[in-house]
Amino acid sequence: MKLTAFTQIIVTIAVTAWVFILPVEAVATILVLELALLLYIKHDKMTMAAIGGLAVFTGMMVLLQLLFGTSLSLALIGGLRMLVMTMAFLCMLAATRIQDIAKALVDRFCLPCEYAFMLTTALRFVPNFLTDSEITLDAQSCRGYSNRGNIIKRFLAYLVVIRPLVMRAVAKSETLALSMELKGFGGNTYKNMPSEPLGLADYLVLLLVVVLSTYPFWINSIQNL
Amino acid sequence: MENVIQLENFYFAYKRSDLVLRDIDLNIKKGSFTVIAGPSGAGKTTLCKAMTGIVPYYMGGRYSGDVKVLGESTKGKKVSDIAMRVGFIMEDYESQLVSLTAGEEVAFSLLNHGFAPAEVAERTRKALEDVGLPGRESYQLDELSGGQRQRLLLASVLAVHPEIIVLDEPVSAMDPDGAISLYKLVYDIHRRYGTTIVVVEHRTDYLLPYATDMIVLKEGAVVAADKFELAAPAMYADEVLRPLLPSLWQVKLGLEERFGVKLGDWRNEKDALADLKAQGFERRAD
Repeated sequence: MKLTAFTQIIVTIAVTAWVFILPVEAVATILVLELALLLYIKHDKMTMAAIGGLAVFTGMMVLLQLLFGTSLSLALIGGLRMLVMTMAFLCMLAATRIQDIAKALVDRFCLPCEYAFMLTTALRFVPNFLTDSEITLDAQSCRGYSNRGNIIKRFLAYLVVIRPLVMRAVAKSETLALSMELKGFGGNTYKNMPSEPLGLADYLVLLLVVVLSTYPFWINSIQNL
Repeated sequence: MENVIQLENFYFAYKRSDLVLRDIDLNIKKGSFTVIAGPSGAGKTTLCKAMTGIVPYYMGGRYSGDVKVLGESTKGKKVSDIAMRVGFIMEDYESQLVSLTAGEEVAFSLLNHGFAPAEVAERTRKALEDVGLPGRESYQLDELSGGQRQRLLLASVLAVHPEIIVLDEPVSAMDPDGAISLYKLVYDIHRRYGTTIVVVEHRTDYLLPYATDMIVLKEGAVVAADKFELAAPAMYADEVLRPLLPSLWQVKLGLEERFGVKLGDWRNEKDALADLKAQGFERRAD
């Protein structure tokens, strides 16, 4: 069963809404389902690291809430909600190609193509940016850059790495812009890509989304009967 | 022979800069393999950009004169429309790859120009095959080596079937073997499809076997624009430009000057040795 990017975006948006309208037990169930789904789709090192990072971040958020006087149960529910929301995005990114997400955002959600293209471009240039930062760090280390001292000293020293890195990034972005212009980037970019029609699985999932999203209304109607 | 690119009294200056190109008057012949050489800051890249309509219409700046590509002035033309007939590969190949997979990269221009999906797929397959990357449509860019990415960029240009390909120092970040192999591929495309090639290159040794014409620039002006064998002596006569000549031709023109002989059109070491032998030059052990 393969869901289209459109359905997956809808489900992700719906999950972020459900965490506020569904009871805590249901939200916790969603978390378990998300974890199972994520590990089914991808169980490599990076996915584990992402789950671990999210768990640590949630723990920090819960602690912060406790420090500001929120009750333990409320802090835990807040953490659970955040975890479920972010995990939904993680599932979507693991299951769908970013190019399909970008196309769905342009076709079905009328997002301007420039913004959608930023998604793929960001992903495309992250490795380049990391390589550039390593090269710049090595080059500046040869010229005497050192990250010793207190945090302020280290931050100020790091400026000698940031400055050339930003200049390189700007130069590269200019070349990229020119290259896109040469290749005719514009409104047609996504319009002419092969589109994904919705299948039976998509309709079933979308129906389930509608049912769960209207939960407070129909549960009230049933109770009033 | 028909001219595919014509520059007539072309002057250009970027915003807030002095003149970069001065009184450029030259023609690129159809089916030629033209090398543009000159010292740093001579205006080679700007000249390439003028040939592709980027200068002055995309980058802005002051200009006079006219640039005609395939008989039509670049004035008022969209850069992407010119690019459908004149492919342009810039120096930093890494930043010109805009997609996540090899297939998407090659298909990008075609989709933007409204080609039918079946034709896009066929052209993508053929272009990747032409550059020695057959069946790599689904490869992520980080699965390809630097040389393969450079070839992929060439494939993305080839897919639109341009009549002219302009390459601005395409091998500046490559090792000698990679550079030789890329130029061999470019020459192969030039021969197979009759594509006019214009290459900016500092290390002209790589292009000696293939160059038919040469444009020499210095301080924004044309020093020579002619057949390679006619432009090379003009380059040799200038001490600043002399080191930019292929090493073999520096030797050849040096010998001609020293001994007053007329040597042949050397394109490789084998030609040079045969010619020297025929002229009575002998190899000495010391």
